[in-house]
Amino acid sequence: MQATRAKYDQLIQDLGRDLRPQREWGEGRGIFMVIGHFVVGVASGTWLFALLFDSRAGLALAFALAGLGGIAHLAYLGRPERFWKMVVHVRTSWISRGFVGLSLFLAGALLYLVPLFVPAAPWGTGSVAAGVGHAMAIVGMLVLMGYMGFVYTASKAIPFWNSPLHPALYIVYALRGGIAALLLTVALGARSSASVGELLLLWAGVTAVVIVFFLLEIHGAMTSGNAAARRSVHDLFAGRLAIYFYVGTLALGLIVPAWLMWAGLSDPLSLSAIAALALASALGDFFMKYSIIRAGVYLPVWTRLAPQR
Amino acid sequence: MRRGMVIDLKRCIGCYACQLSCKAEHGTPPGVFYARVLKKEEGQYPSVRQLFLPVLCNHCEEPPCVDACPTGASFKCEDGIVDIDPEKCVGCRACMMACPYSNRYYNDGPQHYFAQGATVYEQVRGARHQTDVVMKCNFCRDRVRAGRDPACVENCPTVARHFGDLDDPTSEVSRLIKERSGFPLHPEAGTKPSVYYLPP
Repeated sequence: MQATRAKYDQLIQDLGRDLRPQREWGEGRGIFMVIGHFVVGVASGTWLFALLFDSRAGLALAFALAGLGGIAHLAYLGRPERFWKMVVHVRTSWISRGFVGLSLFLAGALLYLVPLFVPAAPWGTGSVAAGVGHAMAIVGMLVLMGYMGFVYTASKAIPFWNSPLHPALYIVYALRGGIAALLLTVALGARSSASVGELLLLWAGVTAVVIVFFLLEIHGAMTSGNAAARRSVHDLFAGRLAIYFYVGTLALGLIVPAWLMWAGLSDPLSLSAIAALALASALGDFFMKYSIIRAGVYLPVWTRLAPQR
Repeated sequence: MRRGMVIDLKRCIGCYACQLSCKAEHGTPPGVFYARVLKKEEGQYPSVRQLFLPVLCNHCEEPPCVDACPTGASFKCEDGIVDIDPEKCVGCRACMMACPYSNRYYNDGPQHYFAQGATVYEQVRGARHQTDVVMKCNFCRDRVRAGRDPACVENCPTVARHFGDLDDPTSEVSRLIKERSGFPLHPEAGTKPSVYYLPP
């Protein structure tokens, strides 16, 4: 009762503010939304790199992560028992498209993976069913990589998210997460056609692209002339979310893996160091998404056109 | 037909009658406000004035909430009213993020105002609302269909609110918008709101 009272008081306080932070996605049960988006993004990236580098463990991990992401999304919904209704509005809704993408991916990946891991399965790896599954999983993977960014870009109420760069940022985050997950499987002893060195080089390249896109997005928000977008940037760097950004994203997600990689240039990294690098990178990505989502501030209702003397 | 509302900011005295009458009409739980009044102070002593901005769902001609909804729970009627079918809502809150006017509310709080539990009034009025879904103003659709004005319009003591057909150039709302340079909120969002304001 006290928690709901506090939530009500918070809402009343927020409604009186010019720049009201969004609390639906990211706070309370909203954390499942962030977890779902993060995990599903990593799953799509992992599937891509596991296919490219012939990693069976990577494919299995991607499938498991996508399943977990689906569960996290369901845990967030107010009425999870109605989840199947989300297939209806695929024509205009990015959430609906994401749901279809995830369903396609899970169904396709299952068809593709079963003969790969179960030799006695009723259909083989070269069968039509496996081929159809393979195609479905690739379509689903592409949707999963892109849809999250578009969900945020379509949010007209939150100027910080309403940026054309957001989808691109989410796609490169999915790629970075995928490489980190593949590194983790290699560290745990799984086979892959790519060497650790190649994966690390790829990780560094994608990380550089992430940094460029992120800086461009921040620059766009700062120069957009929108007070809500500027407040979001302030909250991210010097406000209520700064701790998550500096400790989670910058220190854990960038400095720690970069330092480990630097150390790996002189001496080959131990498997535990590779695992630590991959986990730190993935956790950094989580905190990045968490802080960007939490930094969302609603467009102020009062505008220049509203009554002025 | 496109139903719309005009709010005369010169007449609004910030009495909150619209907010209260809306609460009474719909029996919305705590944390859900179909109609609100925003208050702002302007200027410096001794030249100070208080401004009031009553807000509600703008029933946009191109509603971004309807596009964002994955289930079709948010929908637009033939008369332009935007409403929610609670039976279809999954509570994903994408519509809340899409609405540039922040006039949608998620109903997951307590369904009564007092610690002792729901009053008889709350039990009766609140029974029609589902929990864990999004709620919003529907221009009092049932009243409008019965030929009456929305509760906030009927109960405004200063007659600051007017309701009518925006598509009819001879209607009172169209005339007021034309004669007194009515403006919508956030026209740059491209949503074509059906709620207009007359300057103070």
